Amino acid sequence: MNWLQAFIIGLLYYFSDAPWFFGEGYYVLQRPIVAGFLTGLVMGDPVTGTIIGATINLIYLGHLNVGGSMPSDMAVAGYIGTALALATNVSTEVALAIAVPLGLLGTIWWVGKMTIDSFFVHWADSYAAKGDEKGVMRMNWLPSAVMMLVFKVIVALVILMAGVPLMERFLNMIEGTNILHALGVVGGLLPALGIGLNLRAILKNETMPFLLVGFLLVAYFQISIVGVALFGVVFALIYMQMNKEGATYGG
Amino acid sequence: MAANVKLDKKDIQRSFWLWQFFSHANYNYERMQGGAFAMCMAPIIAKLYPNKEEKVAGLQRHLTFFNTNPNVGTVIHGAVLSMEEERANGADISDEAINAVKTGMMGPLAGIGDALDQGVIIPLLVALGISFGRTGNLFGPLLVLIGLPIILMAIAYSCWMKGYQLGSRAITDMLAGGRMKQIIGAAGILGCTVMGGLVATSVSFQTAIAFNIGEQEFNLQSQLFDAIMPGLLPLAVTLGVYALLRKEKFNATQILLGMVVIGFAGGMIGIF
Repeated sequence: MNWLQAFIIGLLYYFSDAPWFFGEGYYVLQRPIVAGFLTGLVMGDPVTGTIIGATINLIYLGHLNVGGSMPSDMAVAGYIGTALALATNVSTEVALAIAVPLGLLGTIWWVGKMTIDSFFVHWADSYAAKGDEKGVMRMNWLPSAVMMLVFKVIVALVILMAGVPLMERFLNMIEGTNILHALGVVGGLLPALGIGLNLRAILKNETMPFLLVGFLLVAYFQISIVGVALFGVVFALIYMQMNKEGATYGG
Repeated sequence: MAANVKLDKKDIQRSFWLWQFFSHANYNYERMQGGAFAMCMAPIIAKLYPNKEEKVAGLQRHLTFFNTNPNVGTVIHGAVLSMEEERANGADISDEAINAVKTGMMGPLAGIGDALDQGVIIPLLVALGISFGRTGNLFGPLLVLIGLPIILMAIAYSCWMKGYQLGSRAITDMLAGGRMKQIIGAAGILGCTVMGGLVATSVSFQTAIAFNIGEQEFNLQSQLFDAIMPGLLPLAVTLGVYALLRKEKFNATQILLGMVVIGFAGGMIGIF
């Protein structure tokens, strides 16, 4: 990890937020699978970066930002977590265990940003009172964009440049103990939270059988997720036909 | 008054792209997406109301609190555009009528939209991406990076245009009839099926407990749990987490910390 790599990863972390990339940052660039891939590109190993990012993404599968309350910052987990894991060569399970506290840390500056941005909207108010529509438009992005650029690049530089040697020392210290195995157990468990969070949004008593079918298809027949999704499409089509008005079955 | 100003397709599209890019650029606690709503309306207001007083009032009208789903909620923006256009051309549309459309519909559309995109479309595409990505296949991240924005923007654009065509009727049309409910129901079935598969591939949890019954060693994992059903413990853990979340006794962060503590302690003493 050199300064240039850390700086570029900081920039990527910044650009993963609004207003860049068609405003799709939260939906796309912040997903750790994308973050892992891009970070891997910067560090010269996109394939390992993708594997790590995909694994980290499992915890954030059910990430919901509702009414502006952010449960954790998956972008910092994805970009900085993958970079730390790549630089120290740890297993994907350990990478997960690093990413989680980073994601929680990120909620601190999310709250700060949401608070400070409230001031900028008052600047927009005073432009509106003058009838200056260009000013109103500018206040909706420029101040926040500058603030977050400076802040996120600094955060990434500090965590990455200080974090890598710290982690290396820690990993040396715990070599030969049970700690890596225990972190691996945690890493295996955490995806259940990501899936559970998503299920809270979509699972109802009526859809429980479909969850079980999806599970059984993989548990017993090792069908790929693409295959499971195709079964899901068929189930959805059957449901839509049965709910069509005036549908009759077997006469 | 009753000036004859019409919005052309370019105005509508420009307004859409301003929203698409900047909807969350200054997301804040006080007015949420209020500044962004004003931003995408600003060029429209400037065109429709050459009179300074009306322009100021128009800008201020849209700088108020606003928060909805940025994709499906664009029906509101489209409808408001057509209402502002009619109003500028002399129709009797009050501030209250415009505000009522915004505040009345942002909640329901946030519910529908979040259920559809954050609940199903995104997890589905990301789950597919993860299943490729975990094997090192770069199609995984590229699917999310390219496929997802196209789908979401197509939804946002068509909702925006539908809203503009139908005006204030748009929303009642959209909520009426069972169509939206049917789409969400079908999407939920697809989502649940994939999540079930994902439990089996992604959650790993097993016990290392073994003991002797007489002379015979008994391994709890291979001789009991695996014998009942492969992946029994991951399924139990996931459904347990879901049940805890649903009862709202614990929030996600508390469950996260609980899993870290239990998993770590169990791993250290060798029961997992």
